[in-house]
Amino acid sequence: MSGQQADQRIVFEDVSKFYGEVLGVNRVSISIPAGITSLVGPNGSGKTTLMNLMTGLVRPTRGRISVLGIPPDDPERLFHTVGYCTQFDSFPKGLTGYQFVYSYLRLFGHPHLVADRLATQAIERVNLAEAAHRQIAGYSKGMRQRIKLAQAMSHQPSALVLDEPLNGLDPLIRAETIALFRSLAQEGRHVVISSHVLHEVDAISDQVVLLSNGYVVAEGQIHGVREEIREHPMQILVRCNKPGDFASRVFQQDYLVEARILPDGQGVLVKTRDADSFYLLLNRIAQSGINIESVAPADDDVLSVYEYLIGTEESTK
Amino acid sequence: MAVHKRSYHAYAGRLTPPWSRFLIVSRYAFQKALSSKLLIVVFALSFFYPLGCALALYMNHNERLLAMFNTSSFFAVDARFFFHFQSVQGLMAFILTALVGPSLVSPDLANHALPLYFCRPFSRAEYVLGKLFVLISLLSLVTWIPGELLFVIQSSLAGASWMWTNLWMAGSIVLGSAIEILVFSLLAVALSAWIKRKLAAGAALLGVFFFGAGFGQAINAVLRTRNGSLIDLANLIAGVESQLFRQYTLRPIGIPTDWAWLVLLAISAFCLLLLEKKVRAYEVVRG
Repeated sequence: MSGQQADQRIVFEDVSKFYGEVLGVNRVSISIPAGITSLVGPNGSGKTTLMNLMTGLVRPTRGRISVLGIPPDDPERLFHTVGYCTQFDSFPKGLTGYQFVYSYLRLFGHPHLVADRLATQAIERVNLAEAAHRQIAGYSKGMRQRIKLAQAMSHQPSALVLDEPLNGLDPLIRAETIALFRSLAQEGRHVVISSHVLHEVDAISDQVVLLSNGYVVAEGQIHGVREEIREHPMQILVRCNKPGDFASRVFQQDYLVEARILPDGQGVLVKTRDADSFYLLLNRIAQSGINIESVAPADDDVLSVYEYLIGTEESTK
Repeated sequence: MAVHKRSYHAYAGRLTPPWSRFLIVSRYAFQKALSSKLLIVVFALSFFYPLGCALALYMNHNERLLAMFNTSSFFAVDARFFFHFQSVQGLMAFILTALVGPSLVSPDLANHALPLYFCRPFSRAEYVLGKLFVLISLLSLVTWIPGELLFVIQSSLAGASWMWTNLWMAGSIVLGSAIEILVFSLLAVALSAWIKRKLAAGAALLGVFFFGAGFGQAINAVLRTRNGSLIDLANLIAGVESQLFRQYTLRPIGIPTDWAWLVLLAISAFCLLLLEKKVRAYEVVRG
């Protein structure tokens, strides 16, 4: 990777972190571009350790980390570049939402007037302006999550690291928050999120990093990751008017593993080892008089990838 | 693939000097501490004895009063006077420490707030300094500052010759107070960092002093030794201060003063070690 590319990415090179005898993460090599990246894995898989390493809170036992070209050895620059939202409710007692954001901005070294302006902007961006001067103790769970987000992004960082930011949000606020993540990503920021809610990860992420037991088991765009899992044939759902004819046509191909007519008789679920060849075949089938209404991958999502790579047992934890 | 063109502008303005940022932590800790009515009452009570001493100094030099009682002075203003002042104010300082100290770090630990501090350009040393500064400034207001004011009052009333003869006492007041403040503050902050519950941390601080004193005496009585006094913190501080104020006859029973210095130094170092272990951005839970 060239120096210029590394300056635009969060890069881990063969990074390991051990807390004494306890494994945090092991031999992690990833490169995170701008956009929304989700860290996915069961409890204890190393998500928070990875986030702590990114934010400079812990130093790696081995390996090299660079956040947009800044090493952890340069904390003054690193901390101005990264914003962190922990999964815990970490509020000093008695503070209002505004005071919470303002006081942490002062720790960055912002003078009073600048801290005041930045705090107000961040609070407005998470739609909490009306509640800004109320005590956090009286906030709902969703409001507390949003004020934490405000403190993480208030100093205008280039990379935002958010640990379980969607926890406790009701559907409306959740949609607003996801829209906020998207707008932050569209501005060219790096938004790194950890989440247990896999269907949401699927919907919002530009790329995912799957972790298990401290190891990265997959990294990249979810479609690309799915294609790499060759031991599990791709499942494709085809809606058509003649499912029986369709099934007999596709069964002639040796890359086809299974073709099952759907219970409603309106389509076929196909399992194939070669999705590209199958899609080419579909064109020929369509020309032969079978009306194909829709074609959609059935297991090209985070949940399926997670289950294939990490296991159903872990995903239920 | 999504395309993300950089369209935001990072903050590039002026920043406050890094050395001053610990004061942010102190300011909020002060704000919180001063919201306690009990603390305000005890803090106000802490000035009764210094005010009484100031009044006594004035009366001790009031010609009319002295003439009325036909005496040259009511009491001697010497090292013993300041040693007693130091002992009384030391007790008040300890009570203030017990009220403020336990709530300094424990809520941050209980709320997992330390990562929020340390993901900013703010070090662990600055965090501890910020918390210690609350106690240092509060205890200074009731120990060496009124002590030095009394010294100045007495000097102005008794004249320059008294001041030059007793100037060493001004140093003893500062040094004796510094030892009290350092030991009390470090112990309180270290216990607050190790015990997440505020009340338990307060109880532990009282326990260190009172159980230490009782247990030390018990060891002395049972084993017929004086080494039990090594765990009696109040005794150690009194021993050191009696040396600073040259009050050898008032020295509490127990161990040599050099040992008291060493033990207090060791306790302070141990507290710093505890803080180093506990004040971290993350906590490893084993098992």
